[in-house]
Amino acid sequence: MLSKLNKFISSVKLAVFLFITIAVIAMIGTFINQGDSVKQYKEIFSPTTYHILYWLGFLNIYDSWYFIALALLLMINLIAASVNLFPRTIKAVFGPYPSFQEVSEKKNNKAIYETIETKKKPEEIKEIIGKKFGALLEEKISESKNETELYYSKNSIFRFSPYIAHISAIIIIIGVLLNFKYGFRSYTNIKVGEKTNVTYLLKNNKPIKLPFTIRLDRYRTTYYPDGIPKAYISTLSIIQEHIRILTKNIEVNHPLTYKGITIYQASYGHYKPNKYGILIVNLQHINSFKKIIYAPVGKFYNSKINNIKFMLTRVVRKGKMSYFPYIIKLNNNKILNFKIIPVKNHRFPLIIARYKNIGFIMTPQLKTYYYSGVEISKNTYVSIVWIGCIILVFSLFFSFFFNHEETWVSFTDINGGKKTKIEIISIPKKKFNSFYKKFNQKINELKKYLN
Amino acid sequence: MISPNISVLDGSLYFTISLLFVFASFIGYFIFLFTGSKTISKISFVILIIGFIIQTAAFVIRWIYAYKIGIDTPPLVDLYDSMVFFAFVIEIGYIILRIFYDFDALGFIITFIASSALAFAAFYPLATSAIEPTIPALQSYWLLYHIMTLFVAYGAFAASFGLGILYLIKNKKDRSDKKQENRFLSLLPESDVIEESIYKVISVGLVFLTAGIVIGAAWADSAWGGYWSWDPKETWSLITWIAYILFIHARFTKGWGGKKMAWIAVIGFAVVIFCYLGVDLIIPGLHSYATPGSTPIL
Repeated sequence: MLSKLNKFISSVKLAVFLFITIAVIAMIGTFINQGDSVKQYKEIFSPTTYHILYWLGFLNIYDSWYFIALALLLMINLIAASVNLFPRTIKAVFGPYPSFQEVSEKKNNKAIYETIETKKKPEEIKEIIGKKFGALLEEKISESKNETELYYSKNSIFRFSPYIAHISAIIIIIGVLLNFKYGFRSYTNIKVGEKTNVTYLLKNNKPIKLPFTIRLDRYRTTYYPDGIPKAYISTLSIIQEHIRILTKNIEVNHPLTYKGITIYQASYGHYKPNKYGILIVNLQHINSFKKIIYAPVGKFYNSKINNIKFMLTRVVRKGKMSYFPYIIKLNNNKILNFKIIPVKNHRFPLIIARYKNIGFIMTPQLKTYYYSGVEISKNTYVSIVWIGCIILVFSLFFSFFFNHEETWVSFTDINGGKKTKIEIISIPKKKFNSFYKKFNQKINELKKYLN
Repeated sequence: MISPNISVLDGSLYFTISLLFVFASFIGYFIFLFTGSKTISKISFVILIIGFIIQTAAFVIRWIYAYKIGIDTPPLVDLYDSMVFFAFVIEIGYIILRIFYDFDALGFIITFIASSALAFAAFYPLATSAIEPTIPALQSYWLLYHIMTLFVAYGAFAASFGLGILYLIKNKKDRSDKKQENRFLSLLPESDVIEESIYKVISVGLVFLTAGIVIGAAWADSAWGGYWSWDPKETWSLITWIAYILFIHARFTKGWGGKKMAWIAVIGFAVVIFCYLGVDLIIPGLHSYATPGSTPIL
C-alpha cells in the first residue's frame, strides 16, 4: 500500500499531469482578465457567466488555493522522485559497479560491444585505453581464468546535475510560496504635497498600513524633443514619527527600497486640470491693479474690471501644432487672440491679449494637480528564488550537455597466453548517435595501435 | 511612406536588401531539394552568408544611428526590430549547425522562416522601421540581456521545428515505400543524427529560455513591483518552458524518441510562436510591442 502510494507520488505520470494542468490553468488566466473589480466583470460577462467563472475561481487564478496546491503537489512529486532515484545514482557514481559479466548478460539497448585480439600484453594496453574511456575506477584480476577486468567512467559526477536541477526547482517553489505568504503587492495614489501610509493590495483592494509614511514632494514628466515621454519622476520622502528619513526620486526602473519595502513608479495623472497663471492688468491704472488668476481651461473667471468675465479655451487648428493653442473668450461672446512677442535674451516669449482697458498676460506659472500612482511591494524571500534560478540555469546546462559514459573492459589470455582478447562494452546514459560514432572511432584507433 | 534617405541612415534599407538575399537562398535550397546538386546548395549557403553579413552591417548601422539620435537602448524594442533580429538569430543558428553537421536540407526550412520574418518586418503595416525613442519602462540595461537570451532560445526552437519536420518527412517515406527512395530523402541526414540534433538544439533553447525568463524576472523586480506579474507574455513563456521540460522528461524517463519527439518539437514551436507574436497581437499586456496606435505603457 505504502509502496504503491510512493510509486504514484514519485511517478513521472503525476509530474506530467501536474505540469499540463498548471499550463492549462495558466493559459485560461491569460484569456480572462485577472483580479478586476466585480463592476468591470459585469460589463464584459453576463451575470450567469460571471457567477460560473467566479465559482470556478477563474477570476483570480494565480492566487487561488488550487493553483498553490498544484505547486505544492509538484514540489512533493519532485522530492519523492529525487529521493527514490537517488540511491541508484549514488551506486552508478561511487559503486559498487557491476562486473563485466553482469553487464554483458543484461540486455541494454544502449550498450555497444566490441572485441579486439592483439599480441600486446594487458599492461601495455591499459594506459592507452584509459585515455579514451575516462577515469579507471576499478580493476579486478582473477588469476584462475587469466582474466583482468577494468571499469572506466567518464562524466559520472554530472549524474548529479539533474538532482541539483530538481532541488533548485524546489528551492524556487519554496521561495515563491514564502514570498506569497509573507510578502505583498499593493498600490496607492498620492497627490503632490500630500502624504499617506495606507496602501491597497493588488489582489483584493484591501487597505493595509505601512510602517512609515510616504510624502510626494513633486511629480514631473520629462519628454524627448518630439514629445514622447522620457521619464516619469516622483520625488518621495519617507517620514517616520514626523521625522523625514530620506528623500529620493523614483522612476520606472529605479524604485526606492526602505526597510524591505520597495516603492515603484507605476502611473500618474491629474486629480484636477492644470491651471494657467494669467496676470490681469488694468491698463488705465497699471500700477494699482494687478492680479494673478489661476484658471483651468473652460471655466469663467471674473476679471473684476468692468465686470468682464473671461474663459481660457483651447483651440486646435487643423494640421498645425500651434505654439500656444489657447484663446480667451469673454462673457459678451468676444474672442481674444493671444499675441506672442519674443523677448530678447529670454527663453519664454511674452504672451498677451487685450480687451479695452484689460490686459491679459500669460505668466509661465502653471499650477498642476498631479497625483502619482506607486506600487508598494514587500518582496521577501526573493533571494531564495534568485539562488534557485541561478542553480537551475547551470544545472540544466550540465544535465543536458554532459553524458555519463561507462565502459567495461575485459582482457582474457587466449592461445595459452600468446594473445590477448579485449572485450569492450560501453553504455552511455543518454543514447546519442554521436556517442556510438565516437566509440567506433576510438575502437578503430585502438585497432590501429594494437596491430 | 518612408523617404529613402531615412531608410539608408537607419539601416532598414539594408535589411530589405538582405531579405532579397535570404529569399534567393531559399529559392536555391528549394531547387536543391529537387535536383540534389551539391553546387546549388553551396551557392545557396554562400548567398545566405552574404545576406547575413549585410544584415549584421544593417544592425550595426541601426544601433549607431539610434545612439546618434539620442536613444541609448539597442534597437530591439519594437515589432520591426524584433522580427529582423529573430531572422538574424536563426540564420546564425543555421550557419553554426551547417558547420558542424551536414544539414543542407534544413536550409530550406530555415531560410523560409528567416525570409518570412524579414518580409513580415518589411511589409506588415504595423511593423514600422522608424526608430522611436524608448519608453521609460524599457530604459534599462536588462533589456539587452533579456532579449538576447530569449532570441537565442526562439532561434533554437525554430531550428528544432525545422529538424522535426525533416525527421517526420524522412520517416514517413521510410515506412511506406522503401523502393521509392527518392532523391530528396537521400539528401536528408540519418534519422538518428536528426533525432540527436533535435534534442541538442532544444537543450540549448531550453537553457537560454530559462536564463531569459530569470533575467526578465530580475528586471521586473526592479521595474514592475515584483519578479512575476502573470502578465500574458510571462505566463506563455512559462507554458513554453513547461512544454519543453516535458519534452526532456519524456525523452529520458520514458525513453520517447523518434516521431513522437519530432512532433513535440513541431508543436513546441507553435507554442513559441504564440508566445512570441500571438500574445502581443491578441492579448494586450505589459510586453506588447510598440506599434502605432497602441496605448503607451508607463
